[in-house]
Amino acid sequence: MIGSVGAKTIGGINNMGRFGRFVWQSAIASFRICTSPRAYALIWTQMHIIGVRSVPVVMITGAFVGMTLAVQTYGQLAAMGLEERLGVLINIAVVKELGPVLAAVMLAGRVGGALTAELGTMNVTEQIDAIRSMGTNPIRYLVAPRILACLLLTPILIIYGDLMGIVGGYFVSVIQFGINSQAYWTHSASGVELWDVTIGVAKGFFFGVAIAAISCYKGFTCKEGAQGVGRACTEAFVASFICILMLNFGIAVVCKAIYSTFWSLKTLV
Amino acid sequence: MKHNKKENVPRASGDNGVIVLENITKRFGPNLVLDNVSLVIEKGKTTVVIGPSGCGKTVLVKHLIVLLRPNSGEVYFKDRRIDNLSENELNKVRTQYGFLFQGGALFDSLSVAENIIFPIRQHWEITDWREVEELVKAKLAMVGLDGYQNQFPANLSGGQRKRVALARAIALNPEVVLYDEPTTGLDPIRSDVINELILKLQRELAVTSVVVTHDMTSAYKVADRIIMLHKGRIVADGDADHIRNHPHPIVQQFIHGQVDADDLAVLRMSGKISQAQFLPRDFE
Repeated sequence: MIGSVGAKTIGGINNMGRFGRFVWQSAIASFRICTSPRAYALIWTQMHIIGVRSVPVVMITGAFVGMTLAVQTYGQLAAMGLEERLGVLINIAVVKELGPVLAAVMLAGRVGGALTAELGTMNVTEQIDAIRSMGTNPIRYLVAPRILACLLLTPILIIYGDLMGIVGGYFVSVIQFGINSQAYWTHSASGVELWDVTIGVAKGFFFGVAIAAISCYKGFTCKEGAQGVGRACTEAFVASFICILMLNFGIAVVCKAIYSTFWSLKTLV
Repeated sequence: MKHNKKENVPRASGDNGVIVLENITKRFGPNLVLDNVSLVIEKGKTTVVIGPSGCGKTVLVKHLIVLLRPNSGEVYFKDRRIDNLSENELNKVRTQYGFLFQGGALFDSLSVAENIIFPIRQHWEITDWREVEELVKAKLAMVGLDGYQNQFPANLSGGQRKRVALARAIALNPEVVLYDEPTTGLDPIRSDVINELILKLQRELAVTSVVVTHDMTSAYKVADRIIMLHKGRIVADGDADHIRNHPHPIVQQFIHGQVDADDLAVLRMSGKISQAQFLPRDFE
């Protein structure tokens, strides 16, 4: 039993080491292709596949998050006569936490799964070896454009998700429950700070890189056969999902500390 | 993998060797795939590596271009040790190789022309696209597929895919072309087309070829030299006549395609097939 635990621990550390090395190589390759205009076409193509095609699904997710929050919280606030403050609750939850996290989870499923399946299939059909055999670095050609596309577009997709969440919340609160529109927006504007929006959008950079790096790594290291590719896709989604939640927690702790230290001083400035 | 730069010094192979493997051992976990293999690939010649499935042929050929690194031993290309180079340094060396993969390994999302342009675009500064188009046309004409530029790999037959992959492999005018099972999965006529192409490339471009195959018709046709691998070791090495008359029973069994006596005994003892079959009536 001790031997088995030891072997699993060593295997886990080995995997972490390989992943760390992969991320490091990917980061170097990403910096390098930023200075290579020839690679811009690759990044552009990936931005279209990863970003543009994800807009509808992220917007639908955002809208339903906003609407559901309105439905779930209206009763409690109305009972206390605070229904006009519903906008603060919905919008701060959407902008700061639920919007970014759920948009990232949607991306992990839609984009992460596709990246792992594509690169995994390329791996088992020796296309990645073919790239290497032609004297090209596959991380630079395949991984770096995908990481950059995710890095640049996840924050923008989060903005789309946030907007639709706000619209969804407004639709249910004002149109369905009849809350006064002006009061709804006034309270929302006073409750949601620029800091909240910034943090929510900034999370997108971390989530985007995590999704792309994990998905590409799983694709590059997947085992042979249809089962190998399928397993890699599942592992990529689960790992991305856990990573998103862990990053979200870490960012929340760090941002809270920064906010407590600096943002309260803004009134003095 | 340790990269010992001090050992990266020119090596005099002393003969006409363009690629030299010295005491290569490769393991995948507990499996010993290559066991202390030493080999010199001669310049301008076609060396064919034969052996049963799983004997390490593909692993051997991937060591020639260092797509796999050995656990121990050394790989030299034109007297320069290459198995300890970084991937960036290896990329420069690899431009002198062409590699035809077993399944072709064409990029599905790119057209035939784009597949052939891929290595050119990666390594050459393209100033005149008409020149590149002419080059693609010439490479495709060489494999008899001019006019297929705008087709996608999914629309091609197995033989056509291999020919396009071969056109891509020779796009950078390599000195060495490695073929991994070039005729596997093709009918005899298409296999012969590939054999003729291998001979044509050697004749017209004077490339050094290494062909991994278990197709003996193909091996006899294209080989200047045949090497047989068995359980990770070289058991026979010589020209076609030498292999035909080789005294080793494993070699004779392989080249004549005879089933192993032990396997045959197991098959005979395993009972009649009809006894092992479930028929629809068994479920009624």
